[in-house]
Amino acid sequence: MSTRLEPGGERPAIRFDRVGQVFTSSDGSRVTALDEVSFTLRRHEFVAVIGPSGCGKSTLLRIIAGLVKPTHGQAEIYGLPVAGPREEVGIVFQQPTLLPWLRVRDNVTFPMKHKHGRVSATEKARAEELLEMVGLRDFAHKRPDELSGGMQQRVGIARALLHDPDILLMDEPFSALDALTRDEMSFELLRIWAERPKTVLFITHSIPEALLLADRILVMSARPGRVREIIDVGLARPRSMKTLSEPRFHDLANQIRAQVFRPEALA
Amino acid sequence: MRRTLLSALDRGAPLIAALLLLLIWEAACRLLTVPSYLLPTPSAIVQSAFQVPLSSWLDHTWATLRVSLQGYALAVLIGIPLAVALANSRLLSRALYPQLVIIQSTPIVAVAPIIVVVLGAGDAPRVVITFLITFFPIVVSTVTGLLATPPAMMELSRSLGAGRLRAVRDIQLPFAVPYIFSALRISVTLAIIGAVVAEFVAAENGLGFFIAFSTSFFKVPQAFAALVVLVSLSLALFQLVALTQRLLFPWSLPKTEP
Ligand SMILES: Nc1ncnc2c1ncn2[C@@H]1O[C@H](COP(=O)(O)OP(=O)(O)O)[C@@H](O)[C@H]1O
Ligand SMILES: [Mg+2]
Repeated sequence: MSTRLEPGGERPAIRFDRVGQVFTSSDGSRVTALDEVSFTLRRHEFVAVIGPSGCGKSTLLRIIAGLVKPTHGQAEIYGLPVAGPREEVGIVFQQPTLLPWLRVRDNVTFPMKHKHGRVSATEKARAEELLEMVGLRDFAHKRPDELSGGMQQRVGIARALLHDPDILLMDEPFSALDALTRDEMSFELLRIWAERPKTVLFITHSIPEALLLADRILVMSARPGRVREIIDVGLARPRSMKTLSEPRFHDLANQIRAQVFRPEALA
Repeated sequence: MRRTLLSALDRGAPLIAALLLLLIWEAACRLLTVPSYLLPTPSAIVQSAFQVPLSSWLDHTWATLRVSLQGYALAVLIGIPLAVALANSRLLSRALYPQLVIIQSTPIVAVAPIIVVVLGAGDAPRVVITFLITFFPIVVSTVTGLLATPPAMMELSRSLGAGRLRAVRDIQLPFAVPYIFSALRISVTLAIIGAVVAEFVAAENGLGFFIAFSTSFFKVPQAFAALVVLVSLSLALFQLVALTQRLLFPWSLPKTEP
């Protein structure tokens, strides 16, 4: 669709400059989903976005993905305004969104098949590699309904990684999973990210999840969605179960909790 | 031992019940001496079936089948693309949906004579009548199926920049397959009804025509025999559609079925 940009040296991977999004619903009423949102993501930085539901997190992600054009301000990827969907962006959704009639390996290569009508041998080999990486090598020939929720979400991650995107957008990817699977998936994501560095924007409403994963956390306020604070996590990497018991982890968790629940009037 | 007997009974139950019903029917007609022009006995129906030459049966059956299948094919070929258009264009669905509902609300039986007058003799009016009866469920069910595609799936397609037609072909239509087939199963039996209705109005052959013709000469057992053929035809077509789905789209079947 678009030519792939060479990631510029000093240019931020993603930049929002006073981005606003006003939706007009069918009955004419207007909803301000985002208001004056500004931030930048450095290349290969892992940033979590946290905020109450309905505060515009998914809208923010859609704007970066080029699926929604903001009504105000400007969103940029590597210094260029986002004009539509771009090659260097991969998306993982809250639901696995797999095609039930395709085998796992064909679900992973689906983006290529869908876009170009065919899948090259290289891409097929890459799909097997990715399935190996997410621990699903033995499930490549299964259909999605034969997999657990966590496994399905791994397939979704492998699919998003197929074209080796430089930017990975994840919209509450683990929120449909049980707590144990969730922790496991978080560590797995960190391992993948360490293996193949990427700029990650990770939406969540779990404070521990955000702290465990991210370099920085963007805390958003409820309607209209604004950036309330950007927190430097500063916990040592690689992170592990031990990270969860560090004093700084708890301090930050409390600090964020206070931010999220701070009444609007005092903001 | 007892279990195998029970399970055999369980599997044979529909057949046993049907045979029992036929026996009761036969016995009741004989005991109450019901005249055969009101309700013939099953044995009389079978007997009368053999009095009609086989070539005649084949002729009428083929006439009905031909019209049904043509009307059905037309409904599928027009209904599914129309559904795709309706599901993907708000403007089009706003413009056309009311007309579709009007067509569906019109009693086709009442319109049939008009269609015959307009389209004249031959298969054409009968095919059109069959089409009108079968087409609506196909459109409605297909639209429902297309719109049941998870929105995130369509968003994935858009994020890949794959284009609308590809999204329809690779995502929307496969997601709609279970809905489309449930409509195709219902519509194939409606197609037989459509053809018969058309034959009641104007025809010189077909099973519907044969029933109308037989009853007007008080050959009621013969009419019943034709009815049996019609029901068998309907069931066979229904099963054929179900089989097609099982063979071509096994993943689209409900999980409980083997
Ligand atoms: N396409 C749309 N049309 C109208 N309103 C929308 C649309 N998308 C989102 N919204 C509204 O914008 C607000 C933010 O939505 P969203 O970004 O999905 O929030 P979050 O992901 O944080 O839960 C909500 O009030 C939602 O109802
Ligand atoms: Mg959301």
